[in-house]
Amino acid sequence: MGSNISGSAYALTILSPIRNGVVPGQEIAFADKVRDTLQNWNLLINSPMTKVPQTYLCRYFVLDDVYTQSLPGGSALDTLIDFLPIVPDSLRKWAMPTEDHLQSRYLVFSCNFHGGPNGDVDGYLQGMWNAISSNIREVWGYCYGFEKVHDAASFATYMKQCQLTASLFFVGSNDEPLPEQLKALYLKQEFARFAVANQGLDAATVRANYLAFSQRVKPTDLNGPTWVPGQYRL
Amino acid sequence: MFNIAGKSYAMNVITPVRWYLAWLNKVIFYAALKIPSTLSGLITLSLIHYARWVIIGRNQFPHMAPEQPREQLKYSYMLFFSNFNGSWDQYVDSFTFSIPGGLDMFWKWNVRYSKSVALTPFHRYIQYNQLETQHYYNAYPLAASNDVKSAKTVKAALIAFDQELRKGTDAEFLARYNTLLRGLQHDMGDMYPTPIVSMAAYQLERRHQRHERQLQELKAAASEGGV
Repeated sequence: MGSNISGSAYALTILSPIRNGVVPGQEIAFADKVRDTLQNWNLLINSPMTKVPQTYLCRYFVLDDVYTQSLPGGSALDTLIDFLPIVPDSLRKWAMPTEDHLQSRYLVFSCNFHGGPNGDVDGYLQGMWNAISSNIREVWGYCYGFEKVHDAASFATYMKQCQLTASLFFVGSNDEPLPEQLKALYLKQEFARFAVANQGLDAATVRANYLAFSQRVKPTDLNGPTWVPGQYRL
Repeated sequence: MFNIAGKSYAMNVITPVRWYLAWLNKVIFYAALKIPSTLSGLITLSLIHYARWVIIGRNQFPHMAPEQPREQLKYSYMLFFSNFNGSWDQYVDSFTFSIPGGLDMFWKWNVRYSKSVALTPFHRYIQYNQLETQHYYNAYPLAASNDVKSAKTVKAALIAFDQELRKGTDAEFLARYNTLLRGLQHDMGDMYPTPIVSMAAYQLERRHQRHERQLQELKAAASEGGV
């Protein structure tokens, strides 16, 4: 039940358990070291994930523990049990949320990428390893079971063991390959500017300008000119 | 806190579900998957790039090595990950106002779910259960979800238009060009870096400024090296 695939987009959800304990020689827990490394990625010129082919959006965070809210809920049963004075304490406590804790902290990696209609997760993960294996080691190196990873294939195997299946994956955007999407965004930007610059000109001039525009932007050429992954400046 | 990358916001919400009711949640999601019309409300929220719900049984947390302690959880958990444009308030409120019934259906069996109406308890519920992202990457930080969708339309229209570029007179070309513009008028508009909408965006702006300085320093070092 559930699916990680919607159209050609793939929802990859990874929970990798981080080792308990501290980094030898440093007074920092393994999980905090992972968090620190991830936060340091924010100080780079751009994310290492720019190098991973077909990545639309992704996030990393450390799940320290699970949390349970004990505020009154909205269901009729909750409200009755919370407020009826005749409800015995034992029943009231039974209905209250129980405290729950994780035994390990988890590195959470949630990624949306173009996997094609069959969801090529192996291809994506191997491409990820080939592109940023040193960054992967920086963060996953502190996780249980990662010592078995030594190449792209074993990385894909490890990740799939840490993978969870989405119950529902909703794509509100576009599921084309990333180079297609980036080219389209580049064209949209350039064409909007072209349209503004050529308002009110005579037919021959617009045609000549459009021919030059089309030759410059090369609408069918994905290699360029185009936007680069993660581009945040114009 | 790095929940923002360009125009996108990363929301992570993890909520407990009574383990003996988690299957009901799965059935609801399965029904939504099989009957796409149930998601029509979500589709109207065009500010969403991608969203997912994941249910982990209390015994399904990955166990990767013998020395890793086994989880002993009392609840199963539902993970919700969303990528959307705009501010936190805009997003949460638009859910409440657009699809309150659907939202209640998805979270119905979660412990202490407040329901999506009224707004303030729902805000508190999300705030309490939301976790911060440490690193968020967006392949197109300059673009909103609507930009990505409309760009696909623009690209297809330009490629089709270029097929007949050299046909006919200039006047006929201009007529076709004007038709192209009329057809694309809802998909045009250029993109710019996001305005500052929150403290996180302010931090992002500071990061951009720092990167600008780093780039300038790199350029200066390169030019000095060249001399």
